[in-house]
Amino acid sequence: MLWLARRVGVSLLLMWVVATIVFLTLHMVPGDPAELLLSTGGVVPDAAAVAELRDRLGLDRPILVQYGEFLARLSRADLGVSLVDEYPVAEEILLRLPRTLELIAAGTLIAVAIALPGGTYAALHAGGTFDRAASAIAAVLQALPVFVLGTLLILVLAQWLRWLPAGGYAPLADDPGRHFLLLLLPAVAVAKGLAATVFRMTRTAMLDVLSRDHVRTARAKGLTQARVLRRHVVRNGMIPVTTVLGLQMGTLLGGTVLVEYVFNWPGLSTPLLRAVEQRDYPMVVGIVLTVSGLFLLINLIMDLLYAVLDPRITRS
Amino acid sequence: MRRLVFPAALVALILLAALAAPILPLPDPVRQDVANRLATWLPGSPLGRDEFGRDILSRILWGARASLSVAFASAAIACLVGTTLGLMAGWFRGAAEFLAVRAADVVLCFPPILLALLVVTLLGPGTGTLILVLSILYLPGFVRVTFAEVLSARGQDYVEAVRALGAPTPRILSRSVLPNIAGPVLVQFSLAVAAAVVVESGLSFLGLGVVPPTPSWGLMIRGARATMEQAPTYLLYPCLALTFTILSMNLLCDALRDVVDRKGGSRIRHPRTWTDRVLPGLFPARDPAPLLDVQGLTVEIATPGGIIRPVEDVSFAVRAGSTLAIVGESGSGKSITATAVMGLLPPVAQVTAGVARFEGRDLLGLPESERRKLRGGAIAMVFQDPMSSLNPVHRVGDQVAEAIRAHREVSAEAASREAVELLKRVGIADPDRRARAFPHELSGGMRQRVMIAMAIANRPRLLIADEPTTALDVTVQAAILELIAELQRERGMGVVLITHSLGVVAEVAEEVVVMYAAQVVERGTVAEVFARPLHPYTRALLAAVPDGDAEPEGIPGVVPRPDAWPPGCRFAPRCPHAAPACERMPALEEAGERLVRCVRWRELAG
Amino acid sequence: MPMLTRRAAMIGATAFGVLPGLRLAEAQPRPGMLRYGLSVWPPNLQPWPSTGQAAGMIKMLVHRRLTTFDAKGELSPQLAREWSSDDEGAWTFRLDPRATFHNGEKLTAADVKWTIEQVAGERSTAYYRAQMQQIERIETPDAHTVRLVMKAPIATVPLWFANYNMPIVWRGTRDMNNAMGCGPYRISGQERGSWIELQAAPNHWDPGLPRTRTIRMTVYADENLRLAALQSGDVDMIEYVPWSGMAAVEADQRFSLKSTMGPFMDILFNGTKPPFDNPLVRRAVAHAVKRDDIVRVAFSGRGKVLEGMPIVEGTPAWDAELARGHRYDPERARALLREAGHPDGFDTTILSTGTFNMHKDTAEVAQQHLAAVGIRAEMRVVDWSTRVSMGVRGQYDLAVHGVSADSNDPDGLTVVLDTSLSPAHGRSFRLSTPRTVELLRKGREEYDPAKRVQIYKDMQRAALEEVPIVGLAWREQGYALDRRVTGFEIMPGQLSLSSGALLEFVDITA
Repeated sequence: MLWLARRVGVSLLLMWVVATIVFLTLHMVPGDPAELLLSTGGVVPDAAAVAELRDRLGLDRPILVQYGEFLARLSRADLGVSLVDEYPVAEEILLRLPRTLELIAAGTLIAVAIALPGGTYAALHAGGTFDRAASAIAAVLQALPVFVLGTLLILVLAQWLRWLPAGGYAPLADDPGRHFLLLLLPAVAVAKGLAATVFRMTRTAMLDVLSRDHVRTARAKGLTQARVLRRHVVRNGMIPVTTVLGLQMGTLLGGTVLVEYVFNWPGLSTPLLRAVEQRDYPMVVGIVLTVSGLFLLINLIMDLLYAVLDPRITRS
Repeated sequence: MRRLVFPAALVALILLAALAAPILPLPDPVRQDVANRLATWLPGSPLGRDEFGRDILSRILWGARASLSVAFASAAIACLVGTTLGLMAGWFRGAAEFLAVRAADVVLCFPPILLALLVVTLLGPGTGTLILVLSILYLPGFVRVTFAEVLSARGQDYVEAVRALGAPTPRILSRSVLPNIAGPVLVQFSLAVAAAVVVESGLSFLGLGVVPPTPSWGLMIRGARATMEQAPTYLLYPCLALTFTILSMNLLCDALRDVVDRKGGSRIRHPRTWTDRVLPGLFPARDPAPLLDVQGLTVEIATPGGIIRPVEDVSFAVRAGSTLAIVGESGSGKSITATAVMGLLPPVAQVTAGVARFEGRDLLGLPESERRKLRGGAIAMVFQDPMSSLNPVHRVGDQVAEAIRAHREVSAEAASREAVELLKRVGIADPDRRARAFPHELSGGMRQRVMIAMAIANRPRLLIADEPTTALDVTVQAAILELIAELQRERGMGVVLITHSLGVVAEVAEEVVVMYAAQVVERGTVAEVFARPLHPYTRALLAAVPDGDAEPEGIPGVVPRPDAWPPGCRFAPRCPHAAPACERMPALEEAGERLVRCVRWRELAG
Repeated sequence: MPMLTRRAAMIGATAFGVLPGLRLAEAQPRPGMLRYGLSVWPPNLQPWPSTGQAAGMIKMLVHRRLTTFDAKGELSPQLAREWSSDDEGAWTFRLDPRATFHNGEKLTAADVKWTIEQVAGERSTAYYRAQMQQIERIETPDAHTVRLVMKAPIATVPLWFANYNMPIVWRGTRDMNNAMGCGPYRISGQERGSWIELQAAPNHWDPGLPRTRTIRMTVYADENLRLAALQSGDVDMIEYVPWSGMAAVEADQRFSLKSTMGPFMDILFNGTKPPFDNPLVRRAVAHAVKRDDIVRVAFSGRGKVLEGMPIVEGTPAWDAELARGHRYDPERARALLREAGHPDGFDTTILSTGTFNMHKDTAEVAQQHLAAVGIRAEMRVVDWSTRVSMGVRGQYDLAVHGVSADSNDPDGLTVVLDTSLSPAHGRSFRLSTPRTVELLRKGREEYDPAKRVQIYKDMQRAALEEVPIVGLAWREQGYALDRRVTGFEIMPGQLSLSSGALLEFVDITA
């Protein structure tokens, strides 16, 4: 438990550092939210109006005062409101985060559904046709940047063939069919890189486990092939795969930016990009903190899970 | 190393193309020619023109320069700074460790693309910013790799020794530590370069990367995306270039990793690892129906360098209730022989000749399902390293019970009870509690007892023990051998004992097979062979056994690799009695009750 | 797996719970519901601050202004049934007595007065703050008459009140994010950043409006995706049709394209330092750029060269000769540079933003042509925020910009051409163009249309010499709509971005 408390403590400390870095950097780079807001669409605003708005948003105060206020708010778990439309940052995150998570979950599901059996099969028949073909495909997929894949998918499936919508989002409650239809392409794009990674990781891990002595022992015991695989290969091989998968999912939290952009998926990336463009400080800090917090949380969970999966790990 | 050649050549080709772009006869990549915009082909522009009428081929080659120089520069900076930080952190520990490792943690808190996006948006796009952000991004990787390697290097004897000699820190770091971490750092470097190419193109695609009109693949894809319906090929070329480059780099990374990190190189099969691992086992038989009768067993492994034969024409037989020892140095093929009999050869290895009759049935010809029923049932095996041979994630009691239930229809509960009984039988104190332990919670001797309990769970008639005591300390060795002997007497099992220790053979075996370089070189009863060894190799082995106060004589040289066997007698290069006659392959001849493979055995015996 | 087969897609869809029989991609228009593809999310819907055309469109549908523009771009009545100026230079507006706010309150002169006071107030962040501060006092002789007494005579006051940043708001409104309006629509739902839905206001006071009960606007920030959404039937109508896709829309039987030459691209100068403080150098820039290339590259040919001041063709102040005053002539550009003392040219920078491709592309082409006459400009491509910030602070030499004037009246160009106004990203920085500024002022104060035309022609002449901006290209502004969507027109010229106001006249046939 002490171990856990320390981990949580360190994570909180890291988040404070992250928050501070983001806050200070944002305030130091060019771009003024008031000026930007009133210049939307390239119009030329009245300077007095800009000054007034800046004053109203409290942007003229010394940065340390603003920072102090920010920390005070943060300590009350209050992420503040958007400078652009006074919308609560927390609400925006609560609305958007589930969609990003859904996208990641769907992508992971597809990736795992393909890559785990694929990787295991490839490992069991290492050097065979399937193994070579699948490894080659995985290598190509891994090399194919997600925005390239997304662009090509839209060009072919949505614009040329008109089989699938080009992008967008429909709430699950309104139209479940359309919801999943719209989820399909972005999820495939997310799954692409993940599937390649998980495939390779699974294959390597399984090969590694297959070559371990305990597998030979299991076979020497006369266990059936299926049982050897299930109990002595897959379970052991899953340990590194789980870890990699967890880390990948953490990375995806911020990595869906390009997918969300290409497919107009209204997840957390869109408001983040927009907030950065608009220099909407509270929104940027709120979203970044959420993402890095989740990232740390996933890492923590992965460590815990690892300890459960592998009894050799002691929490020292 | 051979694996490196192809991807390295690909990457070299790309690098060369990028480097040579200025001297190649290419149109100026930034010269616009609006009249010919989006042309799919023009003389001098085989790939056509982009939306400004600029030559696409030229822009792709120049774009390689942009992408690669950003990638290499950032990876190099990250490598330099990260390695230095990691070295300091690992060497000085304390504050340096805290700062470097925590700083790396902070960077790692940000998902990479998010971090890149933030920094670039905030600092403004451009090559400088890109290099900065990418180096920050890959810094933690280098810090961590170096840090970990230094920590482990610090603990190594040679570093301790140099330190004790009072060498100055920078010198130790640069002379003793750096060369050892060079491999992992190199791998990290190649990974960083490949990843940087991806991130660079992604950012340029979002309009946050390279500043136009400088050609960049990401920018080209962004530009082509707007016109993809009119000019799909324009979209295609930069996509291909990008994918191809990343693919080549990934391949290179993989190959590098395999070369550097042999531990993780399970994808490459090192034939020697297998030869080291496997075992044979057995005896010739005087009785009409031996328990196990192996005749002419040959195993082949296909390697990239050709077919090798780690076991060649091996014959022996074991009778019920007796013990046959197979001895030989590492690499002689004894373990593979045993594995082949068990039907546990790795997929790359195949039995290409011979029979192995167990109670009259040829094991090698049995369908897998039949063999499975025999394994762990009538034939059981105990392996060399009980730690790795037990599954680390399951409790030992469960693993024993699993062996029981694989062959008998008993309830899980009954199997567990029986497992505890078995553990007790093999001399494990407090078996109830130990049954619930994980392998890593037991001592080496106890683990081997667990292995034995597992092996005897179904009252096997034949037990194959592959160096069952090698990994254990001497007192435990004796106890384990004693246990095996006891069980053999108690249950009348035939035992094949594979070992490189002739001392062990003398104690427990009745018959012995001596193997060298895949072949049987001598076979006979222990008493005879030990009293009057006929083959020079047997003699050398015996001489190598510590005997009273006499200094053991080592055998000079090592067993040749399976792909480099001498054409004649395989022992000849190491044999003190080698003669011109030895250049022919000797046959296994009968020498009374014994068999020996030496053309000069008669003269040498004399 | 980049190439899903149709079967694989079907299997995938089925696996996700989409049963056969359900439309895969093609959605059909539904009567009573217009699905509209927005190019950008309106940052906020506060009535008076300017937050872009998307917000403007919604404000026009939810609110009413005193005046408006009809489909031809002519000023026409909205809340004010008629208006006039008197000898004192004061403007009188007579309000439509039927007008009622969404909360049932009748519109009165007091609401107009309150609105103007808020906009002109000390704490105001409104777009028309400076203009409303030109009003000396507001008289409300009766409940439906408003008389504005000006500090100085201004001819263009009725135009101000047609701007989408000048809606009349109920005087009881306190929360400006939910201002009470009297337009034909009310906001019925939204999800920040994704979609916003408008429902017809019940019992709207102007019978017959709106024609379509519901407008659902969904943001497709990426232009290609927006077009793809139209083509796949996800929306019935999109704004900002990407130029590269206009031809495809025109060629497609299912759609019609409504477009006009609207906003324009220009080059701005930093007047605080050499060499661009010199009008000769600025004129050299003006003659150096081959506009045709910009039209072809940045706008896929869907634009028009702009070689003078951005006066809309066909309006009274337009003059064929003046419109070519900065025609492409590299020889002349070189000569002007020599005259200005830069025979070998010089090195400088050109600022643009990567956030908008047209800015970046325009800058790339301009850069190439400037280099051809010896002006070697290094590209500075930054994100839009930084671009605005650097523009306001004068941290540039040359800058590329794109903008639309407030109206087709030449006075609408004041925000762009009047360099005496406060620094802004869309105006040249601290440039001295005294004659242009003076003529703009004269035009604003002149009530006689004929004289105004003359003044604005003079203004163009002055501006061609003083070069407050270098016009580069008009860009075609386009809306693409399903054939079943009727009743929509694009407004001409600079008003094209206000065309969204006409959505209240749109019908959808099944």
